[in-house]
Amino acid sequence: MQIEATQQIMLLLLVLFPLGGAIINGLLGRYLTKGLVTLVGVGSVAVSFGLAVASFIQLYGLHHEAEHATLVYHFYEWFSLKLPGGQVVPINVRFAMDSLSGIMTLVVTGVGGLIHLYSVGYMGEDEGYPRFMSFLNLFMASMLILVLGSSIPLMFVGWEGVGLCSYLLIGFWYQNREYAAAGRKAFVVNRIGDFGVLIGMLILVVVAGSFEFAEINAAAVNGQFQADFPLWILGVAPSLATVACVFLFLGCTGKSAQIPLYVWLPDAMAGPTPVSALIHAATMVTAGVYLCCRLSPLFITSDVAMSIIAVIGTLTALLAASIAVAQREMKKILAYSTVSQLGFMFAAVGVGFFAAGFFHVFTHAFFKACLFLGAGSVMHAVHAHGDADIFKLGGLKKDLPITRWTFLASCLAIAGFPLTSGFFSKDEILLGAAAQVHRSDGALMQAVGWFTLIGLTLAAVMTAFYMFRLYFLTFTGDYRSADQSGDHPYDAHPHESPPSMTVPLVVLGIGALVVGFLGLPHVVPITGTHLPSWWGHWMESSVAGRPVPEELGVVNLASGLAFAAMAVGIGAAWVLYRNKNEDALVKAVPARLYQLAFDKWRVDELYAAIIVNPIKKVATAVGHSDMTFVDALMTRLPSFNVREAGHLLARLQNGVVQMYGAVMVVGFVGVLAWFWAPHAAIEADFEGMEVALAAPEGLGYEYRWDANSDGEFETAWTSASSTSFQYEQNDVRGVAVFLRSIETGIERRIRVTEEWTPLPIESVIPVERMTPNDRGFEVRVEGSDLLFRKPFALTRATGSQEMRLPMGRVGRIGQARVFARPLVEATVEVRNAFGNTRRASRELALPLAFEEEAHQALLMSPSSGEVLR
Amino acid sequence: MSSHILSWLLAIPALSALVVLLLPRPWERTVRRFSIGAMLLELVVSLRLIFADYSTAGYRFVEQVQWIESFGISYKVGIDGFSLWLVILTTALSPIALFASWGSVTTRIKEYALSFLLLELGMLGAFVALDLFLFYVFWELMLVPMYLIIGIWGGKDRVYAALKFFLYTMVGSLLMLVAILYVVSSYRELAGHYTFDLQELSSLVLPALPQYLCFAAFALAFAIKVPMFPFHTWLPDAHVQAPTGGSVILAAVLLKLGIYGFVRFAMPLFPVASQAIGPILAGLGVVGIIYGAYAAWVQRDLKKLVAYSSVSHMGFILLGLFAMNRNGISGAMLQMINHGVSTGALFLLVGVIYDRRHSRMLDDFGGLAKVMPWYTLIFVIITMSSIGLPGTNGFIGEFMILAGTFFSRTPIGFGTSWFVMTLLAATGVIFAAVYMLHAVLRMFWGKVEHEENANLTDLNLREVISLLPLVGLVFWIGLYPSFFLDKMNPAADEFVTNFTVRYYEGRRTSEPRLVDFELLKRELEAAGELALTESADEEGRP
Repeated sequence: MQIEATQQIMLLLLVLFPLGGAIINGLLGRYLTKGLVTLVGVGSVAVSFGLAVASFIQLYGLHHEAEHATLVYHFYEWFSLKLPGGQVVPINVRFAMDSLSGIMTLVVTGVGGLIHLYSVGYMGEDEGYPRFMSFLNLFMASMLILVLGSSIPLMFVGWEGVGLCSYLLIGFWYQNREYAAAGRKAFVVNRIGDFGVLIGMLILVVVAGSFEFAEINAAAVNGQFQADFPLWILGVAPSLATVACVFLFLGCTGKSAQIPLYVWLPDAMAGPTPVSALIHAATMVTAGVYLCCRLSPLFITSDVAMSIIAVIGTLTALLAASIAVAQREMKKILAYSTVSQLGFMFAAVGVGFFAAGFFHVFTHAFFKACLFLGAGSVMHAVHAHGDADIFKLGGLKKDLPITRWTFLASCLAIAGFPLTSGFFSKDEILLGAAAQVHRSDGALMQAVGWFTLIGLTLAAVMTAFYMFRLYFLTFTGDYRSADQSGDHPYDAHPHESPPSMTVPLVVLGIGALVVGFLGLPHVVPITGTHLPSWWGHWMESSVAGRPVPEELGVVNLASGLAFAAMAVGIGAAWVLYRNKNEDALVKAVPARLYQLAFDKWRVDELYAAIIVNPIKKVATAVGHSDMTFVDALMTRLPSFNVREAGHLLARLQNGVVQMYGAVMVVGFVGVLAWFWAPHAAIEADFEGMEVALAAPEGLGYEYRWDANSDGEFETAWTSASSTSFQYEQNDVRGVAVFLRSIETGIERRIRVTEEWTPLPIESVIPVERMTPNDRGFEVRVEGSDLLFRKPFALTRATGSQEMRLPMGRVGRIGQARVFARPLVEATVEVRNAFGNTRRASRELALPLAFEEEAHQALLMSPSSGEVLR
Repeated sequence: MSSHILSWLLAIPALSALVVLLLPRPWERTVRRFSIGAMLLELVVSLRLIFADYSTAGYRFVEQVQWIESFGISYKVGIDGFSLWLVILTTALSPIALFASWGSVTTRIKEYALSFLLLELGMLGAFVALDLFLFYVFWELMLVPMYLIIGIWGGKDRVYAALKFFLYTMVGSLLMLVAILYVVSSYRELAGHYTFDLQELSSLVLPALPQYLCFAAFALAFAIKVPMFPFHTWLPDAHVQAPTGGSVILAAVLLKLGIYGFVRFAMPLFPVASQAIGPILAGLGVVGIIYGAYAAWVQRDLKKLVAYSSVSHMGFILLGLFAMNRNGISGAMLQMINHGVSTGALFLLVGVIYDRRHSRMLDDFGGLAKVMPWYTLIFVIITMSSIGLPGTNGFIGEFMILAGTFFSRTPIGFGTSWFVMTLLAATGVIFAAVYMLHAVLRMFWGKVEHEENANLTDLNLREVISLLPLVGLVFWIGLYPSFFLDKMNPAADEFVTNFTVRYYEGRRTSEPRLVDFELLKRELEAAGELALTESADEEGRP
């Protein structure tokens, strides 16, 4: 059963408050006091959070009454598209909150609110503080539109809006051009993904006939996406679902930093730390996962797309983790960690465990936000700008107790330490991979399952390792900037951050430890006890998924691997880094391998070499050739030709009298030649058999006529240019059939003989007035009659006979009049003053007496050719 | 007044030009104020047009007066849902451009105002003319003031640019005149009298070959104006040399006349040819999108960059137009307004910085965000509109055009498909971000490296007044496009239906003939065949 609570104004206000905050702080912020800016910036988000909680409670209540409850606010119709079938699809500004978007809204406003609070302390002294608050608020509004938009175009508004905010916030310290360039990179790479979303969106609407998520999902469930995509790709025809999902997933790889578009996220750490925490860890980058969950009924119908997602997710998790292991800076490590964790989420999506993937989004929001804010707190403490080199830190647990404990809690969670939040969510993901292996529906799917399971386990080992490497090097051992030696040491006396920063840390740290209990495993490993999973139950109503395995063996395998990975990773880090002051890893692995990992496997350089630079070269070539080549071809060449032609003609005006004389002679000869021979032609005017004939007049012309062209001239040479003549039967030289359209008056004349000749009726009748039988008459002459018939095949089909139309009567075929006229030929000979003669002949069709009397006309049926009257 | 409103719209600039002509040269302030006042009055009068009912197709505010009776030439004007917004765009942008000009143009004030008023007259006339002869007169009329604006008040190479602009456009329009005369004489052979009235000429159906030739002649004139790749090379020159006001009008309105010509004249009169050649033009539009974007990316002169971005945007509009369905055509129409607003604003913004620094080279800037925050804010907003960020006007147009392209069923050869066209065109969305953000990066971010830039003043009142209406439109169209689309969609639907009927008539004819299309459409509608014209699925597309 479904319930829809309509016109919930709270959903609109949720979005409008941060938007209003952004506008106020953006336009007026620089004229307001800091307190007011804070009030507007943080207050608007706090109100938004309150509204989110209230809405969620209402939704929660409705969930007791129905399986699928939704809160809806229809604002207005944005615009509409017209599908090829003529159906008009509205694109509405319509917000909807169901179980999936409800959770996401809570996370966005809750974590977002904490980070706004944190920013008061972290960014309060920055001269761009109002601008910062404005951008953050704008981000909140965009993110909420993304989450609450009930149709994919509205989601896309938020999707690109958060991209814009990301661009603005990464380049927040715009005076550093590198930072600004990182922002641009983020925007452009995201745009590549957005291109995929745009195309995917169009495929969806053509198939589903709607932009609303609910209706697209319903269409997917109905199997409407199972048809083949009409364009073959590499010789195979993928299903519509596959093509749509692959395009949408391209968008997800951009927004959620997956291979091949993850390269922007590490650079995005140029932004202030709260931005990294909010946008580039907790919320925006998980939008791709959210989109996959939103459309999970669609994605799950395409095994190909799901396998691609699983493999890409796993590869990303591995690649990013391997890079994180070798990095030296806090935020860089955390950035690659985020990429890697997003890979986990997509792997979960790819094996059909959407709810598990989204659960990881949820838990990740807590521990990763906490980690970033912790890093920010450390940087704040030691006055590091931009990023902090962990080899210049160390031993901070004494000076920063709150930061240390919350950081440790989050490290445990992300490593998957038992009973922390990450433990539950990561277990579910590995369980999904194990389940896919276990289900063994097809070799491909099983291979993907194995790949995912093993890849994710390895990535989990590395995750535990690099996180504790980060923790031990930062918080244990000695503070390596204490003696102020080395390059650019940090502040010698670190201090704990103010409460506006530590309160969010504590809240998030506690969250990182406990929120996992919302998603208890369905089957407990080893014991095999069944537990109720609030998360699984809650998500069921809005997210599809493959079945959770009940078999204890599968559960034990997944949990065993997860636990082993955590233990190995933390253990290795303990041995190598606890209370150590240098990078033991450098000694443990070959230097070149370490360097490669440190250089991020040189993927940026690879992209530069194979994509960016070639395009740049083409662009440079285009830019230069436009004014040289294209302009030369289209402008300078024609103008050159005209100019040269002008020069050539100018040569003739050379002032040489002989030349002019020669030209005069040529001209004179030309004129003479024109007048040398007379010109002859015939105009005729009919009056029954009596015809008035006329020839063109000319200076000194004389004429003689042979009106019936029998070789004997009827008149002598005369200066009168016209004559008249009475034709007789034996002057007739043939017969012409006339077709005249009744409607348009268009006339065709066809000469007919004793042989059958086709009658081109279609040339005079508008085709839409014709039946198929109107075409295909044939005609011939017999005596003074015309004979009509259908071509042989048609005659046989209709069984009709030939029809006879006497000369001089008007017949009708469909919308055309048909009649015959006898043909005669008139000849004139013209003589001019030079005594030269010229002859002209003309064939004339003589009108007959009866033919204009239409009421006497014979009617022929267009279909059978019978004479009706 | 309301019944002669279009005539008033033509009369106001014409009479004002006359008044300006008679004003003494030293009265510069009077000339400035009077010309702006006249244009504002024009704007107010034109707004009256919005309140007509456009829910059905057909022309509104039609006026017809015989002019040269023996040749069937009449003064016939009228507007529909398409030209309505182009008229408003013209009346809105003209005062803005002129007002902005008064900040920088200091010589020959009187002549400048005169040129602008005549330019407005020419543009409006071309948009409202329903008589081919009248259209041609206005079409040529607006060339002259623009030629003068570039040639007199332009930059260093202004004479070359002005001449290039003039000749390029002229060559195209002469062939169009020949084609117009051919159409008129063909009509006369059948109907027995001359007429240049578009609606009467619409009943003429030409066979394929003459259609191809005439369409080619019209298309050349219009494609040069658009400008379509590869006929675009006059545009960067003209833009770079033109004064700010001239660039604004050139980009915002003049280019639109090319597309408008296709919609109003070339496509309805020669449907068979435009159906066959349309995909090629759409393909050239796609080439233009990508080519313009590439060329824009490597420009070092900001104004040239914006000029090439116009080539790219106009490619989108061409593509949408020849997709031949409501989304594409309405999208193209809306995108024309969007392009007028955002590129007009961009040229104004370029003018702002040029007035201060007398340079437009990207290398000369950097870090302006610190010095000119309001300028930066507006520039970034317009940039986002130009690259089609949802919520701004650019998105609606681009999305509708892409949807139209994707949904298009027009047959298309060369082993390609509309799907491929959609993919290629959509990459334009990526490249737009590349070149515009490149410009923003070079202009605004980073440190102030050139000392001359350290003390630049932010926007002054005049500039704010010129820019704010455009910023308002960016969001108005972006957030509530229905206000505009509701008036365009019926016209677009009607256009598609008419085109389809005329296309099939054209296909069936081997000799010129006259067809009563209104009657035919009624009959087809009664037979239930009209509904099929759009849903005919020949290729099994999804």
